[in-house]
Amino acid sequence: MRQPVEDPCDKCEQMLQPFLDRELTEVERLEAEEHLAECAYCRKRYHFEEKLRMFVRQATVEAMDPQLKTKLAALRTPL
Amino acid sequence: MSEAAHDEARRLAEGARDRVRFEEEALDLADQVYSVARHLSGSREEAEDLVQETYARAFRSWRSFTPGTNLRAWLMRILTNLNIDRGRRKQRAPDTQPLEEGDYYLYNRLSGSLPDANPQEDQVLRRLSQNDAVKALSVVPHDFRDVVVLVDIGDFSYQDAAQILDIPIGTVMSRLHRGRRILKKELADTVVETS
Repeated sequence: MRQPVEDPCDKCEQMLQPFLDRELTEVERLEAEEHLAECAYCRKRYHFEEKLRMFVRQATVEAMDPQLKTKLAALRTPL
Repeated sequence: MSEAAHDEARRLAEGARDRVRFEEEALDLADQVYSVARHLSGSREEAEDLVQETYARAFRSWRSFTPGTNLRAWLMRILTNLNIDRGRRKQRAPDTQPLEEGDYYLYNRLSGSLPDANPQEDQVLRRLSQNDAVKALSVVPHDFRDVVVLVDIGDFSYQDAAQILDIPIGTVMSRLHRGRRILKKELADTVVETS
């Protein structure tokens, strides 16, 4: 019995994280790139993921209370 | 001064200089250490305590740091160990059930409720607020969150994250992938609930 053909967009979705993390093999990367070149649906979601990662990084930056810095400096060994 | 006393004085002066340099370099990294601590622990207060304990321990044991190696990773190792000591785990092995929601889930949920049938990525992203990101990250289970915070926020390599958390590199990768998917699911739920 023939195996059902895997949906290329499902496969591309599976490769999203390793693709952006540069973990794919050369063959897999080419396969993903080939699909992305012709599929606007997946391309959009890949671009979104890149921007999302940047957004999460920026959104979670929280400045330290300056008083904490003073407290840390006070922990130094006296000269 | 005898030659032996002179050598001893020089050795002490060098030691003091190395220690001062170490302390200054460590303090220069405080913002980055705090940023990771803030998202590993539950609150601002907890993060501040954790950072103070980390620096107190680092300054006490500065001699065990090998100059020329990664000081930021060394500090983070102390921080994550202290965080574990504080009893927030050891918990059971992390949940490895397959996650139904894939990597396109967040985009599909957010874009689905926009009036434009084919929105640009930026339009979709604008539905998320800074608060959404902080809140969603805080509910990702610890084992996954540690890795996401170190790699995606702290900008550590997989190798560094593996050493900091004392887990194999393959585990770093699998927890990172799963952690990001959980984060996206939480983001989708947060935004869709509040809109």
